Amino acid sequence: MFGRRIDRLGVAAFVVFMALLPLVFPGNYLIGVLTVSVIYGIWAVSWDFMSGLTGRENFGHSLFIGVGAYTAGFMNTSFGLNGWWSLPAAMLVAMLFALLIGLPTLRLKGPYFALAMLSGAVIMQRLMLIFWEQTGGEEGINGLEPLIRSQLGFYYFALAALCAITALLALLARSHWGLILRAIKGDEATCQAAGINVTLYKIVSLIISAAFAGAGGAMYAHYQLQVSPQLFAVVTSITIITMVYVGGMGSIYGPVGGAILLVLLTELLRRFGEWRLMIYSVTLILILFFLPNGLIAPIWRRVRATWERRT
Amino acid sequence: MTLLRFETSTTARTSLALCLLTLTIMAPGGAQAQGKPIRIGVPTAMQLQVGRDTQDALKMAIDDINAKGGVLGRKLEMVVADETENPETGISAIKKLTADEKVDVLIGGYTSGVTLAQLPHISAAKTIYLNVGSASPATNAKVKTDYDNYKYIFRVGPLNAAHQARQMTGFISGFVKGDLGLSKVAIVGENAKWVQDLVPLLKKGATEAGADIRATEFFDAQTSDFSPLFSKVKESGAQYMVVILSHASSDIFAKQWYDSQFPLAYGGIDVKSMDGDFCDRIGSKSVGEMAANFAVRAPLTPKTIPFFDEFKKVTGRSPVYTAFGANDAAYIYAEAVKRAGSTDADKVIKELEKTSHVGIPGTIEFDENHDVKPGTPTYKGPALLFAQWREGCKREVVFPKELRTADFVYPSWIKK
Amino acid sequence: MVEILIVGAVSSAIYAMLAVGFTLIFGVARVLNLAHGSFYALGAYGAYFFTSTLKMPLALGALLSVALVAAFGIGVERVLIRPMRKSQLAVLMISLAVALVIEQALFLTFGSEYRNVPAFVDTKFRIGHVDIGGARLLALGVSVVLIGALWLFIQKTRVGSAILAISQDPVAAQYMGIPSDRIFAVVMGLSAALAAAAGILAGPFLTVQPTMWLLPIVKAFAIVVVGGLGSIPGSILAALMLGYAETIVGYTVSTSWTEIVSVLATLLMLVIRPAGIFGRRAAF
Repeated sequence: MFGRRIDRLGVAAFVVFMALLPLVFPGNYLIGVLTVSVIYGIWAVSWDFMSGLTGRENFGHSLFIGVGAYTAGFMNTSFGLNGWWSLPAAMLVAMLFALLIGLPTLRLKGPYFALAMLSGAVIMQRLMLIFWEQTGGEEGINGLEPLIRSQLGFYYFALAALCAITALLALLARSHWGLILRAIKGDEATCQAAGINVTLYKIVSLIISAAFAGAGGAMYAHYQLQVSPQLFAVVTSITIITMVYVGGMGSIYGPVGGAILLVLLTELLRRFGEWRLMIYSVTLILILFFLPNGLIAPIWRRVRATWERRT
Repeated sequence: MTLLRFETSTTARTSLALCLLTLTIMAPGGAQAQGKPIRIGVPTAMQLQVGRDTQDALKMAIDDINAKGGVLGRKLEMVVADETENPETGISAIKKLTADEKVDVLIGGYTSGVTLAQLPHISAAKTIYLNVGSASPATNAKVKTDYDNYKYIFRVGPLNAAHQARQMTGFISGFVKGDLGLSKVAIVGENAKWVQDLVPLLKKGATEAGADIRATEFFDAQTSDFSPLFSKVKESGAQYMVVILSHASSDIFAKQWYDSQFPLAYGGIDVKSMDGDFCDRIGSKSVGEMAANFAVRAPLTPKTIPFFDEFKKVTGRSPVYTAFGANDAAYIYAEAVKRAGSTDADKVIKELEKTSHVGIPGTIEFDENHDVKPGTPTYKGPALLFAQWREGCKREVVFPKELRTADFVYPSWIKK
Repeated sequence: MVEILIVGAVSSAIYAMLAVGFTLIFGVARVLNLAHGSFYALGAYGAYFFTSTLKMPLALGALLSVALVAAFGIGVERVLIRPMRKSQLAVLMISLAVALVIEQALFLTFGSEYRNVPAFVDTKFRIGHVDIGGARLLALGVSVVLIGALWLFIQKTRVGSAILAISQDPVAAQYMGIPSDRIFAVVMGLSAALAAAAGILAGPFLTVQPTMWLLPIVKAFAIVVVGGLGSIPGSILAALMLGYAETIVGYTVSTSWTEIVSVLATLLMLVIRPAGIFGRRAAF
């Protein structure tokens, strides 16, 4: 994806644009919205790497986000460790959960896999509520320390993390690894017959996907300064899938745009008061209906094609 | 089509313009308040009744204050941001109001989980926050322990869960055991953290007062079938069912209680039952229930009845509890700003701490945690009133005795 | 014990009505319609609107509500779902967006408070030594009748045979001249009608508020997968299992654990036997 010059220019333009935005329009509100959107971007990209490439739609991505966030919450409030320890810890815990739930369920396909992962997330959400004495119930864990005190500083950190993660996953997607994942999407049986250890590839991809989702969760916890069971909710998973869809499934870079777009949209629609969510949902229907391949990736492909024709 | 043509000369046009300009400047605006308006940010759950009533009650207060000249010669204006029941949306609502809309004060709140999530961000924005809806004591816990960072947080209403627990204990010992003579009680509450914090306090107090707690059951706020719960309560041998319901489906609870002609009367904290149309909208099936209210249309203070009537006139509805807090908060803030002589947060906070305002449910004063003080036999602060739904969906205050408007009546199918 | 038997049956009946419609659409059109829960909600709200606001008698209001929701379902299928049918995920996403729009519309029109759907039968009955509300018994009875009627319809009529044919082999069915688009519309209407009826029957004793569509559809999804996608007997059996599992856990342990038990059971089922109980295929 980075091979062509236009792609490199595009990435540079994006990074510069995102970095300059809060400087041109200063204010903690915009920085806050952008930071949250960047973290959603991390979640969306991590989802796309596994589910977008293999075609195994994971409806329980919120599980990895939630365990990452709660790990950060516990480590910070119960053990007093600062946020920089939470990040790797969250990744490890998320990877562990991916292994636990992935092994028995990855042989499932389509709606079966989706439902299995969704069940995992729902169970964790319930457990957080049932064991309210340890987890704070629906009030969650409050009083986390921010990872980086400066609002702008945190934003740039998150942006850098997003770029690094996207670059890494995009490279993986373009490599031999990505090829095999796409082959699995096409025809798993043939891959297996060709001697490819399909299970290994699927499980490692899920673990990688979970690792970054968990990292994002920890970042989120140390930004919002609280963790609540709502992170495990079905709504969270579906929001992320919608973002990937709008961005363009399987493209890795598309979901970044999808995430930023949708988070900004939710906030920009605040001016409509009670009608905010209605307008958001209708917009969603229009996008899903008229742009079944997403918005961001197809646009970029068009831009790329125009550029190539001119040079 | 004939066009009318006017002979216009430069002189004529200039004179006309000057006349219009003068008229605009001189246009009467009643008690005109000059200067930048004071902005009140309202983070609330816009789609819910509590949110609507917060806004309406606040608007009533703002209109009244503005009509009387505003505050320090400045008008009040309101900016609303939806916080829903989701902490993420709540935090961004705070950021929108403080960083983008740059409000001078925040009045709002509903779900404790959201308010707790918002606290560090409110503190970072150094903006005063007057809570009108969430009851968890945790929201104000840091005021004393971390005053510099959390001095901005005040609670105008409702009474926090710990105070409510004590008042509920009074309900069980004074009313259930005292008036009705029933000592075997079952406590049923929804699975919310504030309830889970409250129930142990309640059990301890009630047991000390001589009640026999036969069963304590928690259920999910989303429960739609209470048959298992009713069954367990019946089997426990309890004679009265004490409830603590907030987000849960009080409507279904009442309907199922009525439909199955459950042999126990019930009462307690039931937030949804505070709604004026609660009884009507479930087909009068809550007749017999005793529900705690923070205020009913009774002369608790000189302000209570006028507020209820005005609210009904303006909105056509009966107010829910956030309305009382929102209305009072506006006046309390306005008075504090007047005394402080500015909207500077530190100065206003000093004045807010001295508040003693006759509000709608009672006199509003703050303790050292900036939390509203509950009423006592000697202090007329807000207290829980236990009102019973009666035939025709009317409400009568049954407890405490001092404010009783009618005696308790058992539900029609319970023979006692 | 008798109480568990009856309450469990009522829960299962409501779930079955939702699951059967959901699985029918899948069996025929191979799509998961997440707006199915919205039909349930619209049925209940329709009955509320016709009886409270327009003051119609309940029977008329109920029938009208069911008919309108069925028509709405057919409309949604034709306009939004049919063009997207190539991609399962696309239909999933767009039906979800439709559900959100309907939820918001209900919020804006009726407000967030719980609404009252009147019951056909309001009296209390006594079976054994158990008190049970009339509305619940009616829900049980009517759902058995309706599902039975649906089963007969599919087995005995020409349209029913067409439905079976398409669900077994869509391509062959088309070669046989079966107008699949028209059958999809019929199936959509039927399942929407069933969901609406479930809403009207359950409304009197369950929640009627704008977000009431989410939990039923998640449960229906689980039931349908456990029973075997596309299999009506499978859905009924799984509905019974789920309904009873929840009721038993609710009575013996606590209602906080019911949801975990059913979700865990679903997960175990998927891991052990992904095809479901009667599933014809394990994967796609």
